[in-house]
Amino acid sequence: MSDHEAMEGSVAAWVLGALDAGEAEDMRVHVEGCASCSQAAVRLRRAAVALPLEVEEISPPARLRERVLVAAAAARSSTLPSAPARKKTVAATPRWKPVATIEVGRFYAAAAAATVLLALLVGLVAGALVGRNSVTPAPPQVARFTLVGHGSLSGARGTIIDLKNDGVTLVDFKGLPALAKGKVYEVWLITPGGRPEAAAVFVPDSNGAKVVLVSMPLSGFAQMAVTAEDGPDGATAPTQPPQLYGALA
Amino acid sequence: MVLAAGNQDALLELYDRYAGLSYAVAMRVLGDPGRAEDAVQEAFLKIWTNAASFDSKKGSLRTWLITAVRNRSIDFLRGRGAHEREELELQPDLAESHRSDPWREVSLSLERAAVREAVGSLPAEQRQAVQLAYFGGYSQAEIADMTKVPLSTVKGRMRLALEKLSSYLQGRGLMDV
Repeated sequence: MSDHEAMEGSVAAWVLGALDAGEAEDMRVHVEGCASCSQAAVRLRRAAVALPLEVEEISPPARLRERVLVAAAAARSSTLPSAPARKKTVAATPRWKPVATIEVGRFYAAAAAATVLLALLVGLVAGALVGRNSVTPAPPQVARFTLVGHGSLSGARGTIIDLKNDGVTLVDFKGLPALAKGKVYEVWLITPGGRPEAAAVFVPDSNGAKVVLVSMPLSGFAQMAVTAEDGPDGATAPTQPPQLYGALA
Repeated sequence: MVLAAGNQDALLELYDRYAGLSYAVAMRVLGDPGRAEDAVQEAFLKIWTNAASFDSKKGSLRTWLITAVRNRSIDFLRGRGAHEREELELQPDLAESHRSDPWREVSLSLERAAVREAVGSLPAEQRQAVQLAYFGGYSQAEIADMTKVPLSTVKGRMRLALEKLSSYLQGRGLMDV
């Protein structure tokens, strides 16, 4: 069997993605220089790309639309000029003060957060449209930070998207363990002096994911942390050391 | 293209039009709702961030998106990152439809019915070979092992299946899929 015959026999597997990496590269090189295999590849590929149309559509969860929009906004932000540097006064881990000395921040119920989140996403779209039509659009101020899980939350992650112009922050959580009945996760913003302020409470979905809106600016805070607290409103002060946290710088 | 200009409205329109199909393809490959969501999210993000490189003369946005969903799902299935993908991406070749929404819906419905009929008309072993490759992410060698037939037989089944699908769809004027 000639090389051409051997290659020709695998064109269908190639367009189906069923060749190993090395074989695929050999095929790519061959097809570039072989008119008949090139024509076969075009013809067969058109059939291969029709295959997904046999699948019955399934409506995805509504949250996926939010996730895609948030991810797109975050991707857009990564191409923008860096946010101004923040003053670094952060300790490696949060320093909790005695409960009696803590000033409690505002709590935001999950339902309210979801409503505002939708409004924000609409605002993101509108903002994008307005921004393009402006003569001198102000550069959006967006910064991203990461929350890293430790201990029992070692599989959890959070991506913080600080939309400075809007004075709000989105946090995209993934990999959170299911909560015990009656518990909620509570988001804390921690000052450089170690004082935590409650920022939001939420319950992740069955996949351990959630996009949470924090309706307060991050300026003046050095860290964000998450603890599990009693629901539905959370605690006025953290009752345990956080196992998911990250610096806001 | 408005998507390439960073228009989130365009992204929303794309999502609303193809999220159901994207999620269904991811679920078909992964069988896991959580990972299917991740795959769809990453595929849309890929389209969003690479929209400037999209050439509508080369093919359909739908094909590009669904191929990205399929490839990312296979990557998840095989536990590899997208950066490890070395096989050829299924490049779009076909013209984007500019039909109005009602006609697009009708057209899509006809296309899907035809594809189901075409796939259903294939001999079982040919259908199995292309489905294991496309939705299962298996190589031709792995399929030969799984089905306990010579590699040359798997190659032949794949070729025959795609040739038949091509002829079937072309005969119905539906190669523009």
